[in-house]
Amino acid sequence: MKHPWRVLYQMAKADFLERVRRYSFLLILAGALYMAYAVITEKVVVVVGDGYRGVYNSAWIGMLMAICCSTFLSLCGFYVVKNAIERDSTTRVGRILAATPMPKVLYTVAKTVSYFAVLASMVLVLMAAALAMQWLRPEARPISLWQLWSPFLLIDLPVMFVAGSLALLFETLPVLRGGVGNVIYFFLWTFALAGGATTGMDDATGIHVLTTSTQQALARLDPGGKTKNFSLSIGPGHAWRTFLWNGVDWTPRLLAARLLWAATGLGLAVLASVFFHRFDPAREKIRDKKLKEKRNAVVDDPALAIEHPQPTPARATLTPLGARGQNRFTRLVLSELFLMIKGLHWWWYVVAAGLLIAEFASPTAQAREGVLLAAWIWPVLVWSQMGCRESRNATQSLIFSAERVVYRQLAALWTAGVLVALLTGVGTAFRLLTSLDWPQLAAWCAGALFIPSLALALGVWSGSSKLFEAIYTMWWYVGPLHQLPSLDFVGGSRASSSPGLYLTLAAALLLASCLGRRRQVAYA
Amino acid sequence: MKLTIDRVSKRYGANTLALQDFSLDLGSGILGLLGPNGAGKTTLMSILATITKPTSGTIQWNGTDLAADPNAIRSVLGYLPQDFGVYPNLNAVEFLEYLAAVKGLDSASARRRIDELLNLVNLTDVRKRPLGGYSGGMRQRIGIAQALLNDPKLLIVDEPTAGLDPEERVRFRNLLSDLSGDRIVILSTHIVSDVEATATDIALIAQGRLVAHAAPEELLRAVEGKVWEWVVPSSELNAARQQFLISNTSRRGDGVHVRLLASQPPPGTTSVAPTLEDAYLFCLSQHRAGAAA
Repeated sequence: MKHPWRVLYQMAKADFLERVRRYSFLLILAGALYMAYAVITEKVVVVVGDGYRGVYNSAWIGMLMAICCSTFLSLCGFYVVKNAIERDSTTRVGRILAATPMPKVLYTVAKTVSYFAVLASMVLVLMAAALAMQWLRPEARPISLWQLWSPFLLIDLPVMFVAGSLALLFETLPVLRGGVGNVIYFFLWTFALAGGATTGMDDATGIHVLTTSTQQALARLDPGGKTKNFSLSIGPGHAWRTFLWNGVDWTPRLLAARLLWAATGLGLAVLASVFFHRFDPAREKIRDKKLKEKRNAVVDDPALAIEHPQPTPARATLTPLGARGQNRFTRLVLSELFLMIKGLHWWWYVVAAGLLIAEFASPTAQAREGVLLAAWIWPVLVWSQMGCRESRNATQSLIFSAERVVYRQLAALWTAGVLVALLTGVGTAFRLLTSLDWPQLAAWCAGALFIPSLALALGVWSGSSKLFEAIYTMWWYVGPLHQLPSLDFVGGSRASSSPGLYLTLAAALLLASCLGRRRQVAYA
Repeated sequence: MKLTIDRVSKRYGANTLALQDFSLDLGSGILGLLGPNGAGKTTLMSILATITKPTSGTIQWNGTDLAADPNAIRSVLGYLPQDFGVYPNLNAVEFLEYLAAVKGLDSASARRRIDELLNLVNLTDVRKRPLGGYSGGMRQRIGIAQALLNDPKLLIVDEPTAGLDPEERVRFRNLLSDLSGDRIVILSTHIVSDVEATATDIALIAQGRLVAHAAPEELLRAVEGKVWEWVVPSSELNAARQQFLISNTSRRGDGVHVRLLASQPPPGTTSVAPTLEDAYLFCLSQHRAGAAA
C-alpha cells in the first residue's frame, strides 16, 4: 500500500474528529474538569501514612491529578471510545474501507491511535488544569513544569494507550464486543488498580510508582510512623498534617516499565488485527449463522437461501380485527419481558436458576449479603437494554408512531424490568419474609424498583446500554458489595440500607424516563 | 374518511426549509407522492406518521387536529418508514407479535393477522428464521407486514419497493391496490412506474412545495402534444441535451432515439404518446423555470 503513514494519519484524524464532536466526549470532559475542580478545592485528597498529605507543590499536584486521571479516565474513557468498528459497520463505511487495499493492521492501529488521541486530549486538558491549580493555590512556589506534568506524561499516557487498545481488542472479539466485555473490563480495571504490588511491569496503572515514592519520602520524615497507608479520600478532614514530596525519581528502570506498557498497547492493537473481521458480513453474522444452523439445517446462508415464491393470491384481503382486548397491558409487559430475555444463552438461565436456588437454600443473612448481590448483577445486560433498544435497533419510527406509546410502552418496559428483579431475587425475599425481617424486605423492594428505574432512565437519556452497564457495575461494586451507607441500594445490612432514599430515587428516575421519552416522541 | 393537510411547513435549523405551506385534502384511494431526492417527501411522511411535528400548519384526521389528539391518527395508522431496523434475535412471528402488542392488538387477532400477513408478503417459509439473517428485501417485506398489522385506515409507505426484486415489487403493487378500497394510502417514491401502476391520485412535490395534485390522466393530458421522438446522430446528442428537456434516450442502428419534451418541436420529430414519467419531468421543469423566474 502506498503512503501507509498518510492513510494511518487520515483514518485516525477522521475518527478523532468524529468522536470529539459528540456529546459523550463533552460529558466525559465535563466529568474530568469536575474532577480537577474537586482536587483544587480539596474535595478529593490523597492521604499518606497517618493523616499526612503533601504540600501542594508541583510534584504533589501533578501526582494527585494524574492518579485521578489514571483511575477515572481509564474506566470511563474505555466505554466512551469502544465503538469504532460497530459504528463503521452500522454506517456501512466499513464496507467501503474493506474494499480498499488497507491492511487490517493499519485499520486497528489507526483506530487505537484515534482512541488514544481522544483520551490524551482529555489528559492535556487536565494538565492545563493542574497548572491553573498551582497558580491558584500558592502553597508552594515556584512552578516546576517537569514535576507537575511528568506524572501525566509517564503515568497517564501509557495507561490511556493501553485502555484504548484494549477497547479495540474487545471490539474485535465477538465474546467481548457487547455488554459482557464492558463488565469484564470493569473487573479487569478493579484488578489492575488493586493488583500491582511493585513498580515494575505488573503496575498497569502506574499508581504504585507514585505510592511507593511518596511512602518512601514519608518514611524518611517519620521513620516510626504508619507509612504504608495510601488512600484517595473524599473530603479534606482525612489529612491534618503535611510533608514535602518532590516527585518521582524517574530511573531508567521506571521509564522502561512505562514505555513497555505503551509498547504493550501497540502490541494489543496489532493483536486486534488478527481477530478483526474486516467487515465481512459472513463473519459479522457468525452468531446468527450458528443459531440458524441449529434451526434450519438446510439453509445456512441467507444470501444463498432459495426462497419458494408462493402464488400471488387472486386478491389480497385482510380479515377484520376484533375488538381490542382487555389484557393489552399485560400482553405488552410479557412481550417486553420476552424481548429482554430473547437471545440469552442457556447457561445464563442455568446460572440465574442456580443463584435463585442458592437464595432459597442460604440462611437469610448470607442470601441478603451475598447471593442476592450476585443475583442482581447477573441480569445487568438484560436491564441495560431498557430504554435504548429502539435507538440501538433503529425501530423508533415503528414504535413511536404507535398509540399512547410514552406511558403504555414505557410502563410495560419498566414493569418487565421490575419482573426481572423480582424473579431473580425472589429467593431472598422469601427468606426475609419467613424471618419477618420487614425493614430488610422494604430495602429489597426498594432495590427491585430502583435498578430497572435506573436502567430505564439511563437508557432513554443516553440511547446506549453502556452508560448503565458502567454506572451500575461501579455502583454495585462500591455500594452493595462494600455495604457503603447511602450507596447500598440492595440493603445488604441494616446499617447500610436506605429504602426510603432508593424508593424516592426510583420514582425520580421513572419520572426522568418519562420526560426523556416525551422528548423523543413528537406528540407525547 | 378524510385527511387534511393545511399549510404545513417544517424547518430544520435556521436555514433548511424542508416543507413550505404544503396543503392537500385526501380521501380514500392511493396517493402517489412523487418528487426528486430532497424534495420533502420523507419529512411530510414523518409528520403525518406523528414522528415529528410541523413547524407551522395543521393536520386533521376526520376533523380531529393531530396536535390536539395524536392518538386519533395513531390508532388507525400503518407506517412503513424509509429506514427502519428490526430486532435481530427475533424471528418474523415474534417481531410482529411484539409490534402487535405495542399497537394494542389482542393475542388471537394478532396471531391470525400475522399468519395472513406473512402469507401476503411471502415470508411464511422463513417465519421462524431470526431477522438478523434476513436479506434487505425480506426485511422490507417485514416492514410492509408490520404496517398492515392493525388494519390501518391510513397507510403511509415511504419508498416501499426499495430493495425488492421485480417479482416482489409487482406483488407489493398488487397488494397496495387490493387493500386501498376503504383506506387512504400514501405512497411516497421517486420511482414513477410504482405510482403509475397503483395511484389513483398523484401529488408532485419539489423543494418542499406542492407542484401539482391531480389524477394521473389529468397530468398526462397536460403534457399531450408536447412529447416527441427525434433521431439524432450520437455526435449531436450532447447538443440536443443542452437544447431540450430529454426524458429518455435509446441507441439503435439508425442513431440515438431521443424522447424530448417541447412545446415547439425541432424539425424531423414525430409526436408520441406521453407517459407519466414525461408528465413528471415536465411539471418539475415548469416548477424550476417558475422558481428561477
